[in-house]
Amino acid sequence: MEPTTTNIEKQTAAGVDVTTYDALVIGGGIGGEEAALNLANMGYSVIMVEKDYSIGGKMVHLSKVFPTLDCSACITTPKMSETIRHPNIEILTYSEVRGIEKDGKIFNTSIVKKPRYVIEADCTGCQLCEQACPVVVQDQYQYDLVGRKAAYIPFSVAAPRVAAIDIENCTLCGACERVCPPNCIDFTMKEEVIDVIVKSVIIASGFELFDAKKIPQYGFGKYKNVIHAMQMERQLVPTRPYNTVLRPKDGKMPDNIAYVLCTGSRDKTIGNPICSQVCCMYSIKQAQLIMGALPMADVTIYYMDIRAYGKGFHEFYIQTKNMGVEFVKGKIAKIDEKDDGDLVLHYEDIENGGAPKTATYDMVVLAVGVLPQNNIPELFKNEVLELDEFNYVKQTDKLVNPGMTTIDGVFVAGTSSGPMDIPDTILSAGSASAETASYLRRL
Amino acid sequence: MKQKIGVYICQCGSNISDYVDVDKVLDSVKDLEGVSLVKITMFSCSDSTQNEMVDDIKNEDLDGLVVASCSPKLHLPTFRNVAIRGGLNPYNYVQVNIREQGSWAHSDNPKKATEKAIQLVKAGIERTKYSNALEKTVIPSEKAVAVIGAGIAGMKAAIELADMGLSVYLIEKDFFVGGRITQWEDLCTVEELASDTVTRLYDEVKSKDNLTLFLGATAENMSGSVGNFKLTINIRPRYIKSDFNKDKIEELTGKCKTLTPNEFDFGLTKRKIVFKTYPGALPDIPVVDIKNAGDDINIINEFKDHLDLDRKDESITVDIGSVILATGSDPYTPKVGELGYKEIDNVVTFQEFKRIIELSPNGKLKYNGKDIKSVGYIYCVGSCQAEGNMYCSRFCCTCAISTSLSINKRFEKIRFYHVYKHIRTYGKQEVLYDQAGRQGDIFFKFDEDEEPVVSMVDGEGTITFNDLLTDGEEISVSPDLIVLVTGMVPRDDYKRVAEVFKAPIGRDKFFNEAHPKLRPVETVIDGIMIAGASQGPKSISESTKSALSAASKADALLHKGEIELEPTLAMIDTSLCEGSGLCIQACPFNAITMIDAGGKKLAQVEKSACKGCGWCLAVCPHDAIELAGYTNNEMEGMIESLITV
Amino acid sequence: MSNNQNDQKDPKILVFSTEKISDPAIDLAGLLKLHYPATAYTINVPCSSGIKPRWIMHAFEKGFDGVFIAADGTDCPYSIECTTKTGELVSKVHGMMKEKNITPARLKMAAICSVCAEPFVKHMKTFHSELSAMASN
Repeated sequence: MEPTTTNIEKQTAAGVDVTTYDALVIGGGIGGEEAALNLANMGYSVIMVEKDYSIGGKMVHLSKVFPTLDCSACITTPKMSETIRHPNIEILTYSEVRGIEKDGKIFNTSIVKKPRYVIEADCTGCQLCEQACPVVVQDQYQYDLVGRKAAYIPFSVAAPRVAAIDIENCTLCGACERVCPPNCIDFTMKEEVIDVIVKSVIIASGFELFDAKKIPQYGFGKYKNVIHAMQMERQLVPTRPYNTVLRPKDGKMPDNIAYVLCTGSRDKTIGNPICSQVCCMYSIKQAQLIMGALPMADVTIYYMDIRAYGKGFHEFYIQTKNMGVEFVKGKIAKIDEKDDGDLVLHYEDIENGGAPKTATYDMVVLAVGVLPQNNIPELFKNEVLELDEFNYVKQTDKLVNPGMTTIDGVFVAGTSSGPMDIPDTILSAGSASAETASYLRRL
Repeated sequence: MKQKIGVYICQCGSNISDYVDVDKVLDSVKDLEGVSLVKITMFSCSDSTQNEMVDDIKNEDLDGLVVASCSPKLHLPTFRNVAIRGGLNPYNYVQVNIREQGSWAHSDNPKKATEKAIQLVKAGIERTKYSNALEKTVIPSEKAVAVIGAGIAGMKAAIELADMGLSVYLIEKDFFVGGRITQWEDLCTVEELASDTVTRLYDEVKSKDNLTLFLGATAENMSGSVGNFKLTINIRPRYIKSDFNKDKIEELTGKCKTLTPNEFDFGLTKRKIVFKTYPGALPDIPVVDIKNAGDDINIINEFKDHLDLDRKDESITVDIGSVILATGSDPYTPKVGELGYKEIDNVVTFQEFKRIIELSPNGKLKYNGKDIKSVGYIYCVGSCQAEGNMYCSRFCCTCAISTSLSINKRFEKIRFYHVYKHIRTYGKQEVLYDQAGRQGDIFFKFDEDEEPVVSMVDGEGTITFNDLLTDGEEISVSPDLIVLVTGMVPRDDYKRVAEVFKAPIGRDKFFNEAHPKLRPVETVIDGIMIAGASQGPKSISESTKSALSAASKADALLHKGEIELEPTLAMIDTSLCEGSGLCIQACPFNAITMIDAGGKKLAQVEKSACKGCGWCLAVCPHDAIELAGYTNNEMEGMIESLITV
Repeated sequence: MSNNQNDQKDPKILVFSTEKISDPAIDLAGLLKLHYPATAYTINVPCSSGIKPRWIMHAFEKGFDGVFIAADGTDCPYSIECTTKTGELVSKVHGMMKEKNITPARLKMAAICSVCAEPFVKHMKTFHSELSAMASN
């Protein structure tokens, strides 16, 4: 099949207009965007389904990226804009794929668009609703560091930059409705089911962060000054809420900070024996950024092995070590909280005789690992999408066709197939798009 | 002159506004002539601000656009598109870099950073005033790609490009395909054998009508630019006819006596001068190494009817639109004496060890005739060095550990000592590390700054080091074989390849990508992609992924059969041209010719050949040439604004 | 960085950078927060061999104390002869400067590769202090 030259072709099936796309991309993170853009640039039509209010995935919420220290938002937003604006890409945000049924050479796909209670086409992103809304809840995009309203723009560089109403927390007071200039708030909005036909599928649904509460001896959720790495990431972004790094319990600027690597990785006891590939490097990066934000603070990184394997990574690690960040090979047994909120780490000092030791810190950052999204196989109604032994989407021909899965015409990109950093995700997505393109040509 | 310019000053979150007083910048430029609107934005690149700009251009009828934000390398295309969406010519947009060359460069002095930003923005406004609307030229492009190197990455990229409908020239300098992986048989993390992988890729390569494989071929010279390159390829003769008589060639091989060290086995074995690198080498045609024939030349002449001895180097030129460099890597070669290499008998590199495994008889691992019962690995040889190769070679930990596991399926129990600096079995490969420990392998860790020593102790090659896992205790082990786990370096001819294609080289000497995060397979040279280990150490699967990514980028570039050229071209003012011809001499692209215009000699620029370098501007004695986008008005206007307070 | 006294004779430098090679290095200097005098202003052009002598002379006429050409060197995407060509250009302008009684040392050129952030910063600091010295002599 040649690439569709016109944008999107309409087909009539059973009297209803069903739109046909060359490819469905599940997930609008950096992997999904790269795959969709590649296909679109090769002339294929794409429908992208993103479960969140905005595309951009996890990368758009990062501060800076290793090892170049580029501002993450600055390099992601052009990709997001390009994706949103590409004539060959249709995007459904706040939507989920409900079911995919293979029918010969096509996949009948049912997508649910959930109500955001704001008419997307009319919203100008003026934020008046946000100002008017009296409800304040924790902001999930800031990993609960600060609050947000129930009527809100998800985050500053959201794409589309359209408000949403958090109906669970909304009191239905109507304040937002009254101030909205284009009158685009609509509380009667219902779930909408959209049926489409697609000729191929790319799974780029990304990963889950490990929930640090699953290791109770680290005290996350109980000791306020124990935070996870994404929370630190949000304290370090250019739009950081406090303009510095503060510890949550008393707002004090920490003098010494410890990183606990392999939280939820390389740990059979919590069922994840593999390495998450990114935590060493993001911790090292954060350590450098902390030294910029808090020049007087000491940072100690407790590690099992430093996985600085990618291009420029080892050099970055050595640079960080030379900047004065301390690296201690040691497994943290548990963390205790003192009355003043300081934290006592109990660890095995492997390189110094392996004796149990303790050390006290103002703040502890848990370098949480990544886990697979495990609901993907459920989407496929009449075919079996197999997972590998670690619950990632199984690659059936890893060496030669790395995007191939157990279903012909379904490909996997990025962290849906295993832990990966950003460049590896880009390569994996590029690969999945190339494989999809040649599959479509063979159809 | 533009009269209604919109100016946007970006805070970039706080990347800019932390050091540059953006309000002050706004105040300093808002009343300048020609400026009709100035705004401060949080993130100019965000979709909503872009939309706002589009609306402003339309509603305020702007005729020029200035965004003072980050480097144009990041967002010039973004805001040119904003201009287009607003109905403005994209070349009436000017990006001012107040981040990389403003707030960040002068974060030590916010006052001066602000002053500099003000001058830069003023200059940007001035340039916009004089900017002209320019149109891109569209030229036909070749729907063909050259892939350099027929290893796994090269073959995979070529197959995919052929599948996408492009013509592909796959150029391999060796006489056999497969690259480095052919030297191995057991691969890491998969059951598949290397020879199977190579065979199935080679079969696919052969099956494509629009894919031409050149063996014994090197890229010599390239001219032109994206969409229309001309690549000259030199093809060395194999000296064996394509319809060769297998029996006769076998007979010839049998009669040949001269032996030379076999490079494929790192000199561990010798080969004849009529040879295949290894029995399963593909294509299944031997090659005659005529240079080293020695006395065998007489035997070769006896068989000349079956050979192709008169064939000379052949040079051909192909038209292509894009290139994928997939030239792979070499193993790091330790210096003589480095950890006992080439001085102590039982010290070998990891890549040699892989050959030793393949060359060992069934059931017995042998080296130099001796049984090997124990192996000591020293990791990070040629990688993670304080001086020299600072980079991590990425594949070695996993492959060394994986080999310690797979070897025990083929030979009697062999004991492994792993003397490491770092173990980097990232991701799912972690389980191998765990399995090695459970198999009884012993791990020792040495300090980053304290390399182990290999020496002869009581007649045995011995590794001595301080083991951090046992409180820095000095430990010596004397295994039967000491394996230096050597990393990857670029192919020995990387400089030559880089010169031919003008490919940028990074600090680690591998080819450098356009952006390490988001553009890992493109280079700053349009149309030149990099794939596989030529960009940096990679596993096979990672190489394949980058090869496929490069293929999709090449297809996106070429599938339409036409390419847009930047309108930054030289323009000759015929009223000033005196026909000196100096521009013709200066032009590196032969894009200028002399024409006769009614008796007057005038220079004329051939648009499709001009690359906009500006060399002609500098030499014209009559100042008769201008470069679009860099006219005297724009340049001198900027210079004046930069200095005028 | 400097006190008020020095501020008055803080020399102004015009830098010509090249889009693909030296400008990325100057960006990199910023990214790495390697500081250099803030009175160095950069204008980028496609190639250092394409700078018109009259632009340089214009800079001196309008009050720049120094002009620095961050040349492409052998990395030039247009031609390997770039260094020679830029060199010729600089000699030509040196001649023009002498005619106008401008010290030739006020125009400098150095090849700056795309990752040469540190050399660039060093050049800027040296040039800046040389120009300061010229001003006080």
